[in-house]
Amino acid sequence: MNDSNPLHWSFDYNYGAQNPQFAQELIRTLRRYDSEAGTGGTQKVPAVTHVYDILPNYWRGYSRGGVKEELSIGIAIIERSKNDDNLWNYSVQYENTTSGENLEIKFCCSDENYRPLTGNWSVDAQNSGDDTYSRLSCEGYLALDSEIRLRINGTEITAGTVDASVKLTCNWALFDVIPVLTQTIQESGDGIDIAVLEDLEQLRPKSRLGFLESIQTPISLDGYYVYGVGFLPSYWWLDAHGNIAVASNFFETLVLREKMGDRA
Amino acid sequence: MNNRPNILFINTDQHSWDALSAYGNPYLRTPNIDELHRNGTSFRRSFCTDPVCAAARSSWATGLYTSETGVPFNGGYLHPEIPDLGQLLNAGGYRAFHCGKWHVPGRNVRESFRTLYYGKTDIGAGGAAYYDSASTHAVADFLTNYDSDEPFYLQIGYVDPHDVCEYLHNHEEKRIPNPLEQGIVSEDDLPPLPENFDYDERETVLHRVCRRVDDALIHAAILKGVRGWDELHWRYLRWNYYRFIEKVDAEIGRVLTLLRETSLHHNTLIIFSADHGEACGSHQMFQKFTLYEESVRVPFIVACLGDGISVEKDRFDETHFVSGVDLFPTVCDYAGVDTPEGIQGMSVRPLAEGRDVLWRDCAYIESNYWGRAIVTEDYKYVTEYKPKVVEDFSPPGPDAEQLGLSQLFNRHDDPGETENLAEDAAYSEVMGTCRNKLLAQEARLHRQQIVHPSPKRVISNWGERLRAYWEHGR
Repeated sequence: MNDSNPLHWSFDYNYGAQNPQFAQELIRTLRRYDSEAGTGGTQKVPAVTHVYDILPNYWRGYSRGGVKEELSIGIAIIERSKNDDNLWNYSVQYENTTSGENLEIKFCCSDENYRPLTGNWSVDAQNSGDDTYSRLSCEGYLALDSEIRLRINGTEITAGTVDASVKLTCNWALFDVIPVLTQTIQESGDGIDIAVLEDLEQLRPKSRLGFLESIQTPISLDGYYVYGVGFLPSYWWLDAHGNIAVASNFFETLVLREKMGDRA
Repeated sequence: MNNRPNILFINTDQHSWDALSAYGNPYLRTPNIDELHRNGTSFRRSFCTDPVCAAARSSWATGLYTSETGVPFNGGYLHPEIPDLGQLLNAGGYRAFHCGKWHVPGRNVRESFRTLYYGKTDIGAGGAAYYDSASTHAVADFLTNYDSDEPFYLQIGYVDPHDVCEYLHNHEEKRIPNPLEQGIVSEDDLPPLPENFDYDERETVLHRVCRRVDDALIHAAILKGVRGWDELHWRYLRWNYYRFIEKVDAEIGRVLTLLRETSLHHNTLIIFSADHGEACGSHQMFQKFTLYEESVRVPFIVACLGDGISVEKDRFDETHFVSGVDLFPTVCDYAGVDTPEGIQGMSVRPLAEGRDVLWRDCAYIESNYWGRAIVTEDYKYVTEYKPKVVEDFSPPGPDAEQLGLSQLFNRHDDPGETENLAEDAAYSEVMGTCRNKLLAQEARLHRQQIVHPSPKRVISNWGERLRAYWEHGR
């Protein structure tokens, strides 16, 4: 961090003169959300929804599309609610204007701190580009508590195996895992081992979730990291209200724009 | 006609030849590309034609060297009359598909191939994860739905590990703590510095001006950033590079799994390669653009996961020099399609089948328009052409009078290329032999004048800077 750019290195993707400025956009979004946090939308309701702007981490010198007025390349909406069976139903909408591919992901987790995956899940991918590929539906489930099975257009494959004793979660559930495990993570020293099914498709079996540090700017945030085999480090910043305010992986930074409802 | 095989060309971007666990690299895990090796022949003496994306890819597409294609650097422009692989295969009874990164400027991929997925915008670089996972989705959709009597050719251009460039760009203008200060990985997790981290500064002028001086022609901002690095930063670059490769390996794994499950694997030939490598700290360098081994040497595997195609399996070919120009004639050979006259490559099919054929005795590589290299059994010879006083935009060579500085490395005693023997009188005969080999190779090329204004501007600007260095030594 420095005076002109108060971002932490883990989510500082301000490239000098490249406009729109990453830091400005991130701080504006975050401060707007932070000022509204706690003033409304905190009633206990069945569903909790977080809306994130997606900012590109990549250097835009390669871009051939000219200067855009807005930096955001898409939006991620995470909605979850607890059902009568005490399971968490998740629905994620991920829209990316750069790749042209949008994802709609639905999955279910047990009501435990690690939010282990349970039941069936689905990934509906749609491509808005001018290509042969327009849509792909993928359904998955965990067989014998350890084998990840995916059905793609009727073809069923194994997408990896996890030790039955390992709690398998996914990157989208980490938005809830980290807030409830803060003490466990911070007391763990080197972090805790988890298995992550990235976007409900790619297994990252030997991943580590650990505490990074606390910062005060642009707002008060506690940082965590996740990485593993084939899983580049990502950084998760928790605000004082218990929400992941910034989640930055190698390719994009999700900045919390809006929250509806509160955790039941 | 219907007995002809399907052909799947999987390529990664910026993937050095030795960054595979099947090749003994202990710092990463690539079980899926390893599976290709177990089911095929790995050519260990495989070199790109030119260590930068667009240039190397123009050779894949045409079977020509980059002084012939019109794409001698990323800003080049493919000569319009040169036929490409997609056009040939479509005319030859194949259905030619493309997915992912193309990056052959001057040729619209959609006019030569059916595109499964090409992104919302032209994929240059950046955000590889978006494109790579979407490419895998597109290929999954294709493989699970393919229902045609016609054989297919499908080329999948994965972007990673190219996004290591993003890692580097991120260091341009800010200090990022070294990994131990970050508190994420421990020193034990990090690969060591490469043995050839220290280097011989007697490099060509082209190399210095492009990659070493303060106002380097290529990515000077990154150069400025990495100058502040300590040893741990360099090691962390390597650590990250290997994670990018593991990431793309997982994407390839999904494709191979689906190929098996759809039973297409028996009659599908798979070729795996990369457009160029990554320096990753060797010679205190990053990215590509140089003629050092890490930048120019790439994996090249010919495989079949089933039994329908004759391929020698689980075998290293340590003998034959394979080049990026060989992809084109190899695909045509398997497809039963005649190659156009004048292409430079040779089909590796007989080598993959374990047959002995007359083969070239060296690899020829170009770089940054003026750079040249010859790799022989015993030596690597690197040299450069001096920029012309009056530029006519005809790629230089063969012209012994115009050659500038040289580097010579003994490939047996000095595989890391750390001692330049070019000025050593004991090697004058070797130098002469290598120079003659280079000039003879160049005499066989059909260089064409660059006519597109965009690459002409690059040549003019770079040439001017190079001439200034030759005149003033800086």
